[in-house]
Amino acid sequence: MKWSESFFTAIDGLKANKSRSALTILGIVIGIAAVIAMMAIGKGAQGLILSQIATLGSNNIFIEPGPWSKNMERGTLMQSMVEEMEIKTLKYEDALAIEKIQNVDKVAPLVIGVDRVIAETESKKVTYLGTTPQMIEISDLRCYLGRCIEDYDVKSNARVAVLGYKLKKDLFGDENPVGKKVRIKKTTFKIIGVAEEKGVQSFLNMDELVHMPITTAQEFLTGADYIRWIAVKVKDENLIDQTIEDIRLLLRERHNIYNPSGDLTKDDFKVVSQKETADVLGQITSIFTVLLSCIAAISLVVGGIGIMNIMLVSVTERTREVGLRKAVGARKKDILLQFLFEAVLLTLIGGVLGIVLGAFISWVTSFVFGQLLNTSWGFLLPLNAVLLGVGVSVAIGLIFGMYPAQKAAKLNPIEALRYE
Amino acid sequence: MIEVKDLEKVYKSDSVETPVLHGVSFNIEPGEFVAIMGPSGSGKSTLMHIMGFLDRPTGGIYKFEGKSIDEFNDDDLARIRNKKMGFVFQTYNLLPRTTVFDNVRLPLVYSGLEDKMEKDLVKEAIAAVGLSHRINFYSNQLSGGEQQRVAIARALVNNPSVIFADEPTGNLDSRSGKVVMLLLQELNDEGHTIVLVTHEKYTSEHAKRIIQLYDGRLVSDEKVSLRRYAKDEKELIK
Repeated sequence: MKWSESFFTAIDGLKANKSRSALTILGIVIGIAAVIAMMAIGKGAQGLILSQIATLGSNNIFIEPGPWSKNMERGTLMQSMVEEMEIKTLKYEDALAIEKIQNVDKVAPLVIGVDRVIAETESKKVTYLGTTPQMIEISDLRCYLGRCIEDYDVKSNARVAVLGYKLKKDLFGDENPVGKKVRIKKTTFKIIGVAEEKGVQSFLNMDELVHMPITTAQEFLTGADYIRWIAVKVKDENLIDQTIEDIRLLLRERHNIYNPSGDLTKDDFKVVSQKETADVLGQITSIFTVLLSCIAAISLVVGGIGIMNIMLVSVTERTREVGLRKAVGARKKDILLQFLFEAVLLTLIGGVLGIVLGAFISWVTSFVFGQLLNTSWGFLLPLNAVLLGVGVSVAIGLIFGMYPAQKAAKLNPIEALRYE
Repeated sequence: MIEVKDLEKVYKSDSVETPVLHGVSFNIEPGEFVAIMGPSGSGKSTLMHIMGFLDRPTGGIYKFEGKSIDEFNDDDLARIRNKKMGFVFQTYNLLPRTTVFDNVRLPLVYSGLEDKMEKDLVKEAIAAVGLSHRINFYSNQLSGGEQQRVAIARALVNNPSVIFADEPTGNLDSRSGKVVMLLLQELNDEGHTIVLVTHEKYTSEHAKRIIQLYDGRLVSDEKVSLRRYAKDEKELIK
């Protein structure tokens, strides 16, 4: 029997029971769509997280206050942000000291807070970032109106502010706000510049921030001399590990921590490279993707059982047909292939439709999240997910179609012809 | 061409043994038209199934064209059924929701012929049973007599050396039955060996030779002295 012949026979078989075939296919469609959507969404989320981390460049090190917790030795970002904000071990002077370490290109201490900013007619609750010119360089921030923060602003605790692109729109509309005043916590700041549109960076929407000199933020807003974190840019990516060790030794000395064994849980700070953070988050999202895909795969098995069920019904219904085909010369192999082909055709159609549906679901998800997070969540349909979808649907057809097909192939022609 | 010697068949199911054939012997030469007659339960259908390679005997010898059935495996039997045998059943056994053309074509699907040759053979066979005007009809749109003629076309499409007909007129009215017998006699005249299984004396008299079975034993084997010719009753058909 020719392959094309098997194909058309299978099509005829499916056409004979259109609604039954369609319902059976639906089981596979849902299964494949679920797997594809989970994989695509997982990939999209991973891409988003990694691109957010990568916005600051690859040769950065971050120093945060507080010790490594024992049960989360690698996941600093996973630790409660609120908890860290209360830890007061990191000082501005630490940042100045780190700047002198060999191989360190730029050091930027940061403080962060949330408060209401009041302009002439409008007011808004915003996040403010106490920063230095170095940080502005690290994050590649440019001002399209006025000027950005300079060293002398930091040295003089100048009450000046740079508005994010969208914040300026919200507070001043189309006016040029440079030279105007805003108030935060009873302190009046002079606006010296407006930043260019920048989007979301490291999960902060740069366009809705207020930038100010770190010294100013400490004196007038946080009222404390500790800082939230220190960003360090290393001259060369290959020097990161060495530099991390140098920073640890320096900070232990400055904080009077006796820790010759290098036990990280004894420190009152954490040093972590951008790459490490990216690796950890990448791993976590991968695990989630695999987990969700596994759950989705269960529905595929259910779909496969549906296929087997319907193929068994089909074989029983067509017992006489099988008997006749055998009588006129069909070999076991011919009958086996006929029913196997039918099962695979069912699952393959389901697989293709499932991929389309899964792609649609992940496209909708990427669109919704993109709107929600005000960022571009790249719509991804990973090629391996498509290949997997096709492969798995064919495999399910083969696996769950085999038993019914074998049952048909083994039928005795006489008994099959007499079957009522 | 067909050599049956001491043929035995015992059906076994769950420790119960049912003997159906107790040592049947006869030969059939090419070009013969043999009717196997007997009441129901006499073993005539079982005998036909064994002769048609649809079943295997449990004892004795069955040779087809000089070769014993024991020499062949199931796939060989399928191949020989496909190339050298044609079957006509009492209940037609056409594929439903399938055209006359595709029904007749079915044996060729498994014979690996060229597509073009295939088409001509199918058309020829359908013309031979006088159903060219029904070629694109679905099998279930036809009358019983027409369906059985389609089945005959299917049986002869691969130009078999022997055609086995199992009660081919059993489900038909007498007029359609005569058409079927006419076709079988014509095929015999063209050189096909015909083995007809029936329990009707009238039908069996269309053959050249009648083998009578009773309780799985051969009770008589003789030439038909007064053969009926379906074409003499042709005016009834038209």
